[in-house]
Amino acid sequence: MAMNADAVFSLSNTVALAGWLVLLASPFIPRVADRIAGIAIPALLAVAYSGLVLAFWSSAQGGFDSLDNVAALFRTRELLLAGWIHYLAFDLFVGAWIVRSARQAAVPFLMVVPCLVLTFLFGPAGLLAFLAIRAARKPAAAAFAV
Amino acid sequence: MSVIALDPTSPPAISPASFLGKVRNAEPGFFAFALLMLIAMAPTGFAAFADPREFQGVDIWLKPLKFEFALFVYFGTLAFFALFLPKGTTGKRWYRLFSGAVGIAAVLEIIWIGGAAALGTASHFNQTLFGAILYSFAGIGATLIASATAVYAVQIARNTVTGLSPAVKESLVTGLALTLPLTLISAGTMSQMGTHFIGGAPTDAGGVPLMGWSRDGGDLRAAHFFATHVMHFIPAFGLVSAALFGPTNRWPVRILAVAFTAFVLFLFGQALMGRPFLPLLG
Repeated sequence: MAMNADAVFSLSNTVALAGWLVLLASPFIPRVADRIAGIAIPALLAVAYSGLVLAFWSSAQGGFDSLDNVAALFRTRELLLAGWIHYLAFDLFVGAWIVRSARQAAVPFLMVVPCLVLTFLFGPAGLLAFLAIRAARKPAAAAFAV
Repeated sequence: MSVIALDPTSPPAISPASFLGKVRNAEPGFFAFALLMLIAMAPTGFAAFADPREFQGVDIWLKPLKFEFALFVYFGTLAFFALFLPKGTTGKRWYRLFSGAVGIAAVLEIIWIGGAAALGTASHFNQTLFGAILYSFAGIGATLIASATAVYAVQIARNTVTGLSPAVKESLVTGLALTLPLTLISAGTMSQMGTHFIGGAPTDAGGVPLMGWSRDGGDLRAAHFFATHVMHFIPAFGLVSAALFGPTNRWPVRILAVAFTAFVLFLFGQALMGRPFLPLLG
């Protein structure tokens, strides 16, 4: 079957965005948010990612062992799409973790929101921000909780 | 005589959820493997959607999807049949080792079939040396997987308190007992012949809808399909028979078992002669 990579790209972005909106509403619907943004949507994106890798890995050049090889890998457009979906899935998964962790460590949601925005736009930077805020507020207790 | 033994089957659970719960408790391992196989269809299905490649005339991911679905049905059925094993069987060490091995073999089979599809090559009947060796191991694995039906047949036959009527119990045991031998005949022959196409074009395109069996020549897969599903057909008939001919009448089941076996052997012979399945379909 033929796939339109650009259409899948747009759809994936929309699906991920829905997850982030649910996270923003999480103080009102914590369990629903955990399940949708933390499990269901990442799983959906993971299905798409896995399918793309199954379909296109063997015909692609490159690999993970050097930066040049990674660039070669992404020259196969469908694998570039897979890479992007990888970001979408994992950034959302981390965002949902941040929300759960903040709830457990009693970090006010007002401080969580900027972390979520940062995670949405710049992934690991958002995670770093949250880890820093959490450690700063309760160095001993919450700092190393996973 | 116990009233329970006269019922065609134990009363169904009140809701689908509690029925699934009963099945899950009867055989949590096979239940889990069934679920895994079903879930595996998701990324495989997406790969089918995304991948433009074909194999023998159809989408290259169709075969992994068929096998995943088949194993989902197989493990789901065995988990359900586990309700009728003698109490305590599933806790025994030999059973846990055996059923664990069966599950792992099934996972390896799917990795092999899916891996071949990912690489754009054949799993079954692979011509390369490495591929042929893998195929032999897969045959051993498949035999192990199918042998669970024989084990279940023996164990259920030994169980004097299944709660099933005689006709239904006989249909269950017979269906399970016939599965392995008929499957060995049909599948074993395919592997020896190096192909399942006899005479017609080696492609699934233009084949029987959904199954893809050859319409312009013999296809040994037809016999293989009915052989593997004897564990479904005969017990299903057993339920009908108990309702129509009474719960203690075992003869309709026995007659059907003979007829069904003859049918499978007929399909087998038909394919070997190069004649397509149901030539009336044209």
